Amino acid sequence: MNYLSKKILYINLEDQKFDLKSFPELHPFVGGLPLGLKIGEMYVEKKPLIFTIGPLNGFFPFVSKTCVLELHKGLETFYLGGSLSSRMRFCAFDALVIEGKAENPLFIEIDPQGVSFYESHEAFENAGLPGRSSKIIFTEKVLLDGYFESPEGLLEMSLAKRFVAGIVINATVSYPIKNVLEYSKIFNDLLTRGSEIHKFAKVGSFPSCVGCPLGCEKSKVGEKEGNILAHSLVACDFMSDLYSDVGVVFSCLNILGYDYKHEDLERLPSVVADLLESLDKKI
Amino acid sequence: MHKILKVILPQKCIGCELCVFEAQRQLEKVGLEGAFIRIFRDGSGFSIVLDPQVNTLDIEKIQEICPNGVFEVLESESYELFE
Repeated sequence: MNYLSKKILYINLEDQKFDLKSFPELHPFVGGLPLGLKIGEMYVEKKPLIFTIGPLNGFFPFVSKTCVLELHKGLETFYLGGSLSSRMRFCAFDALVIEGKAENPLFIEIDPQGVSFYESHEAFENAGLPGRSSKIIFTEKVLLDGYFESPEGLLEMSLAKRFVAGIVINATVSYPIKNVLEYSKIFNDLLTRGSEIHKFAKVGSFPSCVGCPLGCEKSKVGEKEGNILAHSLVACDFMSDLYSDVGVVFSCLNILGYDYKHEDLERLPSVVADLLESLDKKI
Repeated sequence: MHKILKVILPQKCIGCELCVFEAQRQLEKVGLEGAFIRIFRDGSGFSIVLDPQVNTLDIEKIQEICPNGVFEVLESESYELFE
């Protein structure tokens, strides 16, 4: 895994072409919201739909959301739960950018090796790897993993205007752990702390986002607002207290091999504010 | 005596995949490729498939990390007893 750049998978629906590129210059934007905004600024004229994850997604508990930005008419941002962020991580890209509009309803299958396009629902039915994929299907409404939804039906609107009928991401990449004892210690400590934060909250038996043991009913519909650091890591907003602790975040980043400094995280609110202002002028 | 990981309450699985990641961590990797535990999603339900190789791992840890008590660790002189 390259810890010094961000990998973007770019898909053009009109010509059904794709491109996977690494961008070292995007490394300072960490992930999630600031990364998505910066990508939005880069491709603003294409009016893309952007999905981003952060450096901890797939590696630590409660960092289970995916940031989605729609730039078709103005800027809309929201966060999805489920398995999407972990599958993006294990498909080895940090951001998915979708541009243009398909001619007919189009299904997209994404592997680390490339992208396949299908025009029939039957072909898409067989797409994906059981237990290792994240599937977004547009039927009456858009469902991720057959359960999770976007707030206010925002993903429905984004996919409908692009004629995207389904997306499946196949997670076939694994990463070695260098210091497994320390990594496990941090992982389990976060699990304990997160569960304590929610000790008195309503948790239960609802389908959970990957990496979250709480089974809360609120995971079904994604989020819209929240803490900037949590949304840069794309952690669950209910775990903002946990992932706003810079010490916690640095122990996670360091054990994975990221070289971010305190200043990189401290400046994220101003980075987001500047990018929002810049995008506001360009859209 | 063999220790065997057994799914006893699959209906309580919430799909968090912490068991998958615990098993993978014990193999010193993060990811889903080559995982000994697979969680299959089907709407709001889940099914769990265990590769027998999971029993070569520290299965007590896998049992403990599940928030809903889906697994049990059984002891036997024979694997066949539990099939």
